[in-house]
Amino acid sequence: MSAAFIPYRRARDFGTPKRESERQVTLTIDGETVTVPEGTTVLRAAAEAGINIPKLCATDSQEPFGSCRLCLVEIEGAKGLPASCTTEVREGMVVTTQSKRLRDVRRNVMELYISDHPLDCLTCPTNGDCELQDMAGAVGLREVRYGYDGANHFGAEKDTSNPYFTFDPTKCIVCSRCVRACEEVQGTFALTIQGRGFESKVAASQDQPFLDSECVSCGACVQACPTATLTENSLIELGQPEHYVITTCAYCGVGCSFRAEMKGEQVVKMIPNKDGHANHGHSCVKGRFAFGYATHKDRITKPMIRNSIHEPWKEVSWEEAISFTAKKFKEIQVKYGVGAIGGITSSRCTNEETYLVQKLVRAAFGNNNVDTCARVCHSPTGYGLKTTLGESAGTQAFDSVMKADVIMVIGANPPDAHPVFASQMKRRIRQGAKLIVVDPRATDLVRSPHIEADYHLALRPGTNVAVLNAMAHVILKEGLEDKAFIAARCEADAYNDWREFILEERNSPEAVEAESGVPAEKIRGAARLYASAPNAAIYYGLGVSEHSQGSTAVMAIANLAMCTGNLGREGVGVNPLRGQNNVQGSCDMGSFPHELPGYRHVSDPNVRRLFEQDWGVTIQPEPGMRIPNMFDAAVAGTFKGLYVQGEDVAQSDPDTTHVTKALSSLECMVVQDLFLNETAKFAHVFLPGSSFLEKNGTFTNAERRISRVRKVMKPLAGYEDWQVTQLLSNALGYPMNYSHPSEIMDEIARLTPTFAGVSYEKLDKLGSIQWPCNERAEAGTPTMHVEEFVRGKGLFRVTPYVPTDERTTPMYPLLLTTGRILSQYNVGAQTRRTANVHWHDEDVLEIHPHDAEQRGIKTGDWVGLKSRAGETVLRAVITERVMPGVVYTTFHHPESGANVVTTDNSDWATNCPEYKVTAVQAYKVTKLSDWQQKYKEFTEEQLEYLRNARRDAEQAIG
Amino acid sequence: MDVNKLVRMANQIAANLDHGKDPEKAIVGTLDHLKRFWTPEMRRQIVEHYRHGSNGSSATIELSYIAAKAVGRLAEEQTVAS
Repeated sequence: MSAAFIPYRRARDFGTPKRESERQVTLTIDGETVTVPEGTTVLRAAAEAGINIPKLCATDSQEPFGSCRLCLVEIEGAKGLPASCTTEVREGMVVTTQSKRLRDVRRNVMELYISDHPLDCLTCPTNGDCELQDMAGAVGLREVRYGYDGANHFGAEKDTSNPYFTFDPTKCIVCSRCVRACEEVQGTFALTIQGRGFESKVAASQDQPFLDSECVSCGACVQACPTATLTENSLIELGQPEHYVITTCAYCGVGCSFRAEMKGEQVVKMIPNKDGHANHGHSCVKGRFAFGYATHKDRITKPMIRNSIHEPWKEVSWEEAISFTAKKFKEIQVKYGVGAIGGITSSRCTNEETYLVQKLVRAAFGNNNVDTCARVCHSPTGYGLKTTLGESAGTQAFDSVMKADVIMVIGANPPDAHPVFASQMKRRIRQGAKLIVVDPRATDLVRSPHIEADYHLALRPGTNVAVLNAMAHVILKEGLEDKAFIAARCEADAYNDWREFILEERNSPEAVEAESGVPAEKIRGAARLYASAPNAAIYYGLGVSEHSQGSTAVMAIANLAMCTGNLGREGVGVNPLRGQNNVQGSCDMGSFPHELPGYRHVSDPNVRRLFEQDWGVTIQPEPGMRIPNMFDAAVAGTFKGLYVQGEDVAQSDPDTTHVTKALSSLECMVVQDLFLNETAKFAHVFLPGSSFLEKNGTFTNAERRISRVRKVMKPLAGYEDWQVTQLLSNALGYPMNYSHPSEIMDEIARLTPTFAGVSYEKLDKLGSIQWPCNERAEAGTPTMHVEEFVRGKGLFRVTPYVPTDERTTPMYPLLLTTGRILSQYNVGAQTRRTANVHWHDEDVLEIHPHDAEQRGIKTGDWVGLKSRAGETVLRAVITERVMPGVVYTTFHHPESGANVVTTDNSDWATNCPEYKVTAVQAYKVTKLSDWQQKYKEFTEEQLEYLRNARRDAEQAIG
Repeated sequence: MDVNKLVRMANQIAANLDHGKDPEKAIVGTLDHLKRFWTPEMRRQIVEHYRHGSNGSSATIELSYIAAKAVGRLAEEQTVAS
């Protein structure tokens, strides 16, 4: 049995949340002396001492409620029988948790519950793992004196609308845990207890089926439910798990820790790990429920090769596929030069895997042509934060938000893209923190249950830097800057240059009002709020980086944080919300043409020597090609071979026409992935990949937190992704002989100072580690730049607003911006192959009523969307979430062709594409676009080639 | 690679590094950026465009003042190196 397999049992539940306090309280429970922080409840104090008081409505992820009346105790000197969940400990308290009186009362309570509860335990889905069963046993229930002939709820109908869980009201004990989970944990407030007394029942929104309600299917209610009322469909189908493994989610940059609860090699359910340092026991619909893609029928499990993309695929052995690839790559290098091949690493694969791909490129290919998807998302963060603060990463842990007084969210939509972190942020806002949202759209954060932004700066796409400069202008003009911090922690000359620049009239709120569309008073108000808070934190996303001035905007954000002293402690900081499960990791691992692992430039001879000595090769001292450069070179005929691991550039990169032209020009494209994705349709070699359930490794989330990924099933194709890269490297003549990913991590630690203290042993012990982790920070670094910045003193950078070239014209009078939604994940390769399609089965175009009316467009109409790059057709949805002049869509479905319309405009420093600003025209149409027509035909052709390969293989066996 | 694209990129870099007060700083910054992030091939192409001007090059747009100065220094360094 693997050391990672843990026999299944429910996670320990201490009844009420942990409290932090400097004061300790000592009391006596059942004769035992117990010492706990002040504010702890009697219920929790007992549980921590190993004394389990019966309970039903209490659970440690929620505030005490006191409704079930099971946890009553006797307290010396107190009248009656207080509920231990709502009673806080007091010094010298004497508690008795078991007595005849308590036993009788508890049995009475259970009798009432069971008098209205079906007695089908043996065939019930939660048999063996039901808190109601446990309590009936714990209190010694032997009979129900009321009988079963009275009024009951056995006729209530099941709600099976949600594809992932069933709501069976006949089993409900109205403990309100689900309602409280939706309020306190998730923050959506979709559930309520409707009616009173006997008529009380759980209702979703206006007593609607779950799928039609405001429920976002996070599953917190299912997890909280102590009975079989809310149960996972997979549990109903498969039965109780027998062991579990702790692993990390492979979707977004929150990096939730999960218990993969298994029957053999089959996942029964994914339950968020309470001890998860990023998620603390919560998750979203994707991580919890949408894991079915790993075993979907579309999974390709056999290597395939072909000589041309207009030929059928042929299934071959691993040996043949690898040697075919190695031979082709070598031939290309002989014919076109060493630099004619390259690799793209995956931000969804593990750290060890991306490290090996960049090593393959540098050691086996002999060049620096390696890049990763951060190119198209947070590369400006890398540039901007490295320049100003000295490190290409966020400065805080997620938990830091609980100490923020003012939260500013710029160009990010956490409720959709980082749901678990958004829930935590919302909790803080409900506690009283103020909120500033800078976004062209009215996202969920602007106004939703119990949440309202104090300021929503609805700026025109492309004007981030103007607005950020204007905020800084206000802060300096009104003397709100933190002079002491600036003097002590930042370079004086750079600050003076920046100060002189910012105070210019062109940066005043009045001067930018017309261009940005944000009233000057609003900018002033937001700036004052940010600057005068004791702790103010900035969270930002791709709405900042995916612009022609993305890097400039990141530096402007750092300037704001530095000038107000909001760095170097908890509750503040500059927090880039990294999108993918391991995009931070792939950047850390040196998946860049200009940087080796640890963000060290290839031109530095000392760094090169370190790697050269360890790897036994010479490393090129000049930067290699970024992904856009690779495409341009492919079209120009000088770049001919590409190894793509876990990336779908044909769908995710801008200007699809250009990308597919580039891919078609390659002589050997190798795609290593789970499915035949858009990019694989242009491939000559398909190497089947492995999902996160099929491998060992680590992911690094947006907090720099390294967490373990643990294998729960054999790789369907026979190899973990890192093993495939190793095979290729050996075939190319560069030996790699790792027997386990922990060896790869040991090598990374050896060669990278910020990772020096990281090892699998330490990860097992600590659970997770935030880098830097080395001699100075043995257990990792939650908050960075505490004593000084990584570069020593902080560097202010002058950030003039340079308007994008992408301007609206009479021909293209609207601005298109893009984003993500909750239920689908990026290119949708994973989530489209799960029941998440129930929520979002197509990308739509959000358009303001004013623009729609001018064009005769109604919700549901087909709308043509055209830019200078191309044209596509989407279904329209009229909404006031976008402002007049701006339209919005997502990119989760390849047939929507959203990126046919986006252009090659990009950030000046990093070439991060300007997805967020494209000048377009929208008009009513009656049929799909030419591109979509050709796309359909091409896709059908490629799928037929795949079907051919399978047919041939089956015939060969039979 | 399309030379127009390289010229546009170089101009964009220069425009973002030129704060209007210190042209020398902008030129040095642009030159440094090209050396840190552009491949040798990209640099060779832009230098060739610079050397031949609008006569021999296929580009239809001009390098801006700062960008041209930076590429000029790059050209000098390349001459010295070879």
